[in-house]
Amino acid sequence: MKRLLGSRAVFFIVMGVLAAIYTLPLMWMVMSSFKSNSEIFSSPLSLPTSIDFSIWADAWVVGNLGRYVFNSFFVTSLSVLAILVFSSLAAYAFSVFDFNGKGILFAMFALGLLMPIQSYFIAQNSLFELLSIKGHRWTLIVPYAAMGIPLAIYLLKVYLDGVPRQLFDAARIDGASDMKMFRVIVLPLLKPGLATVAVFSILASWNEFLLALLYVTNDKFKTIPTGLLAFSSRYVTDYQLLFSALTIVTLPMIAIYVIFHRQVIAGITDGSLK
Amino acid sequence: MRAHRWFTPYLLVLPAMALFAFAILGPVLATGVFSFYEWDGFGAFTSVGIDNYLRAFSDPVFRASFVHVAIYILLTIVLEVGAGLLLAGMVTSRPRGTGFFRVAFFIPVMLPLVVVAVVWGFVYNPDFGLINGVLEAVGLGTLANVWLGDTRTALISVSIVSGWVFAGFFMAIFYAAINQIPTEIVEAARIDGASEIQTFWRVKVPMIRNVIEIAILLAVTGGFQSFDLFFVLTNGGPYGATEIPTTYLVKVVFRNQNVGYGSAMAMIMTATVLAMGAVYLWVRKRADVDGGTA
Repeated sequence: MKRLLGSRAVFFIVMGVLAAIYTLPLMWMVMSSFKSNSEIFSSPLSLPTSIDFSIWADAWVVGNLGRYVFNSFFVTSLSVLAILVFSSLAAYAFSVFDFNGKGILFAMFALGLLMPIQSYFIAQNSLFELLSIKGHRWTLIVPYAAMGIPLAIYLLKVYLDGVPRQLFDAARIDGASDMKMFRVIVLPLLKPGLATVAVFSILASWNEFLLALLYVTNDKFKTIPTGLLAFSSRYVTDYQLLFSALTIVTLPMIAIYVIFHRQVIAGITDGSLK
Repeated sequence: MRAHRWFTPYLLVLPAMALFAFAILGPVLATGVFSFYEWDGFGAFTSVGIDNYLRAFSDPVFRASFVHVAIYILLTIVLEVGAGLLLAGMVTSRPRGTGFFRVAFFIPVMLPLVVVAVVWGFVYNPDFGLINGVLEAVGLGTLANVWLGDTRTALISVSIVSGWVFAGFFMAIFYAAINQIPTEIVEAARIDGASEIQTFWRVKVPMIRNVIEIAILLAVTGGFQSFDLFFVLTNGGPYGATEIPTTYLVKVVFRNQNVGYGSAMAMIMTATVLAMGAVYLWVRKRADVDGGTA
């Protein structure tokens, strides 16, 4: 019993130390946001002498962070909505119906699962330039929705393939139309699949950087990654302000994650393994 | 099953296919076409045959970028997959009380890589950074360095950030896989007197071999496509020591307006990614035939 207790204590101490080291960069970021620039320089490891949240408010206002957060919400929510609607319709067709050209159409989406972003972003940029798609608030929704669709269709089709076919046959005999089967059978059964796809797509859109960097140069429409980067090059020496901006952007994300960690971890691991 | 109306399936697939074909499939084909032309993005197209490809294969920067990304991938297999496996081993060695740690190690996966990169830029800062600060505090001040500005340490410094982000991701994958192992198998090992560490290496790790292989594939293909961390932390510097294919590609296309040449490099990178996937499938198939395990 004593030995067990000892090893148990050792285990949790080791894990605790490891977790502390792991989260140190983030704790240091929060700590530094409460220190003046000269304190940050003279004693980078010291604890802040006072906790003053007003600098966070300053960073929010000076850095136009509200604007970037709004743009990220706007782009992410509409991209994810488009992914969920378009992909569930297509997955329904692929899973339930037989039709000419089904194999080829599905193979095209499967190709999209394999293609890296490098294979299309150069020509996509030229195309978007030609059609004046670049530089709007909604610009990024187009590529983000398109990038999310192949994986979403694949995951949702796997979910639907697990549904007994008799369910659809019975609905057909009862005279249900194609769209009624979608509303009454498919959508309710797809709920867990849609949740997985949503988690995956939200994170992908929220965090995407390369296309955001290339397609949106107007500061008014920048999302969090490009907005924060612009902020950090504008106030390159105001470290306290930068640490504050980083803190107020990351803490809410961490809080939301901690609340929904079960769904988030499951969604990300499911999405990347399939 | 046949649809009630013959055109229903096509209508269902249409929105997804239209968007996908417009924004991805078309551009993939167009990038392929661009790669045989010289084009600055505005003026006339000049057909150059396979010159862009020949130029890419003899471009010392492009070649070096493959070496850099290969080193980076090897480091991340250790720092992401290896560390993730060890973390998973630790959090599965106890039936209870490890939830907090699993949540904590997964936090960085959630954050935009750009934000992570800006934070780590400060961690590596030579004047007030966390790392030099800690080294000085423990009396190792002579080891303090300009981590991202030194050609000898820049690449490994970026790799460490990558490990910090994705070790938790791989831990979550391995954690889920280990929990799928039937408890009787793990119990049997314990009854036979195996220690926790032996159970991990001799029973759990072999049982999740497939998942480990997939994890390595993810690290290899994902690592090959990296951009965000490198762009923010070093953008290829110092003196090209961290130039990877995508950072170089972005410079060639968007700074030098060399769309045709960039497209050829993009095609070579695409072929590389697809080849990695093919090699993986081939290795898997051979392992299945040799080992007889599905």
